Amino acid sequence: MRVILYTGKGGVGKTTTSAATGIHMAAAGVRTLVVSADSAHSLGDVLDRDLSPEPQSIAPHLDAIELDARIELDRHWGALRDYLIELFRYQGLDEVLAEELALIPGAEELATLVAVDEWARAEKYDAVVVDCGPTDSALRLVTLPEVSDGALRTLLRIQRAMATLVRPLASRVVPAPLPEGRVFREAERMLYETLDRLRARLLDPLTTTRLVLTPERMVIDEARRTYRDLALFEVRCDAVVMNRFLPDAVTEEVFFRDWLEVQNERREEVESLFAPLPVLTAPLQEDEVVGLESLSIHGKALFDGFDPCAILGVSGALRLQASEQGYQLKMPLPGASADEIDVSVVEDELHVRSGDRRRALFLPATLAGAAVRGARLQGNELMIEFNPAPSSKARPR
Amino acid sequence: MRILLHTGKGGVGKTSLSLATELACAEHGHRVFVLSTDSAHSLGDALGRRVGAEPTEIAPGVVAQEVEVLAELDRAWRDIREWLRELLREDTDGLLADELLVFPGLEELIALRAVNDVASSGKFDVCVVDCAPTGSTLRLLRFPDALRVFMEHLFDFERKGVRLLRPLVQRLGSGRLLPREAFFDALERLYKDVESVRQMLLDTDRTTARLVLNPSRVVVAETRRSFAYLSLYGVSTDAVLVNRVLPDLAQTGFMARWADREERVLGEIEESFPVPVFRVPLAQREPIGAEVLRQMGESLFDGRDPAEHFSRQSPIQIKNVEGRVALQIDLPGALLEEVKVSRIGDEVLLRVRDATRRLALPASVVGRALEQTRLQDGVLTLFFGA
Repeated sequence: MRVILYTGKGGVGKTTTSAATGIHMAAAGVRTLVVSADSAHSLGDVLDRDLSPEPQSIAPHLDAIELDARIELDRHWGALRDYLIELFRYQGLDEVLAEELALIPGAEELATLVAVDEWARAEKYDAVVVDCGPTDSALRLVTLPEVSDGALRTLLRIQRAMATLVRPLASRVVPAPLPEGRVFREAERMLYETLDRLRARLLDPLTTTRLVLTPERMVIDEARRTYRDLALFEVRCDAVVMNRFLPDAVTEEVFFRDWLEVQNERREEVESLFAPLPVLTAPLQEDEVVGLESLSIHGKALFDGFDPCAILGVSGALRLQASEQGYQLKMPLPGASADEIDVSVVEDELHVRSGDRRRALFLPATLAGAAVRGARLQGNELMIEFNPAPSSKARPR
Repeated sequence: MRILLHTGKGGVGKTSLSLATELACAEHGHRVFVLSTDSAHSLGDALGRRVGAEPTEIAPGVVAQEVEVLAELDRAWRDIREWLRELLREDTDGLLADELLVFPGLEELIALRAVNDVASSGKFDVCVVDCAPTGSTLRLLRFPDALRVFMEHLFDFERKGVRLLRPLVQRLGSGRLLPREAFFDALERLYKDVESVRQMLLDTDRTTARLVLNPSRVVVAETRRSFAYLSLYGVSTDAVLVNRVLPDLAQTGFMARWADREERVLGEIEESFPVPVFRVPLAQREPIGAEVLRQMGESLFDGRDPAEHFSRQSPIQIKNVEGRVALQIDLPGALLEEVKVSRIGDEVLLRVRDATRRLALPASVVGRALEQTRLQDGVLTLFFGA
């Protein structure tokens, strides 16, 4: 199953691009679902159709859906939410507020991802195209399985500790019983299995992200950081889409002279920044791109010779190599600067912090316990050198 | 200190206009601070220079800062984290506690604290806040409410409970689970910080929101919703800034149809918001760097002081309507079937689509029954009995 995630700074045309991609793929016979995961939905506006949290048929082979995170949340974690609501109400909160609080931050994103994964496993479709919304929420989405893993584990432990602590008192004062260990264990299992599945989906070779941008300085700067952050979490990118490229027809307009001049430089810059990914360029249309017909025209211009469903390019992957002094781990981090990076090893985990993002990677057994000798940026790659692990020292050479 | 919150759909130019506003404030002699609370920071991008997590002077008397979640956490949450570490010592390496504290959603809280820090420094007349896109900003406003309730009920309960339990638990040998006083003190400090920021945000004399948008249909629809939500959360919007309006020079030829469409949308914008609308023309080149942004600010406010209140409309008013005590709330763009009002004790619960707010009732209304609600011309009126 092919999964394509579109993200980029606000207003660059992610939704239009997602819709145009879906239309193009469906026209080629690929059964496609276009999913809007941006809580500020505009997919319906772009398709000029009323959409809902259930797939609507848009054209032959093409369905579209606007996810409602709250509905998804109820569907997947109704039980856990009920438990949290019960817990909060027991603490003396009224029902409505208990409901508000039971929306654990991040849970909506998680529910969205679960829905995407479910559609991706549905027999009904060959491909799922996701309009992820602005960079920040998209990053949250794709990094969530990893970030939540630790966080949820911790939350559950705290809750459990609290429950153990309070239960003796509670049973004396309030008849309402606190959730038992069993509830926590169930919640834990559900979360772990789900997170594993989502992680597998995001790391699946057929899941790729495409960065949408325009030939504007601030937009490119942000896309570049997104690319780096996605790389940190090993999310594959396969193409860059450049929207709003002023067409030749604008050349006569004096007002746009500078914009025109700059945009060609910007395209070259983008091509080199994101190399080896292809940069698909879509010209600014003469009017708003709304409705199937204009979207189809837009899609043709955008994909000009490319198969929208294909994996259009390959961004780097983590590589582990044996070296004379031990091991080298190479991690692509395009556009990272050395002063923003921090590397440490804690037991069997490698912690890499890049700016405001942090990732914990489980080290393979060969490296567990090995000391980091040094780390340096080499071009677009972070190279981490390990001393041989203590166990391997004992081995005869 | 005057606080100007800039919000709006992604990509409309919030950052550029926040900076333009800041620089125009400085022209009027204000000492001014611009704070980016959007975790996808772009102050540095717009200025063409590095800004970062520490306050950076970008011009004389003009300071900028991008709130960095991890750095703020390191500074502000040490005690809380220490306790969590201790609590989880048995089966963790301690880093889980860190991860818990960067859980998505906490960024809002950290951002709020930063505004507070600027205010309490006493060094600034105006704080311009470059907020995250619409959705997150609203969460930012909702969070203090949730936190207040959470703290008051849960932690206070725990505190009492822990005191009672202490002898028992210690006997059982699990004394390490008892939070230390330092943890509660840290939580209380945090709670006080958040509460004072909340007061600040809801104080319409100090704080107003500026909605940034582009003349495009989809953007206007969403901005109308934001206006309603902000109002619902008790934040007053005093101006709407329309960015990237095609100037006359650019309205011909290829752009003619875009210009036509824009004209209609601009009309719609004027009708949509009961506050002054300022327009910023599309520049001939990208507005990057302090000088260009300063010029932009100058033309944006047409020589007026950006720190003034462009509209004095308070989002929620209490008044006598048709001989009855009534609360009036501006909810432009809201439809009757999307609004749900219910009374819970001394508070009113308002729901507009999926946004909920508890409204603490003014003393003069407490004790009166909520008799009738009416939505007319974008104003929700709640009538109370004698």
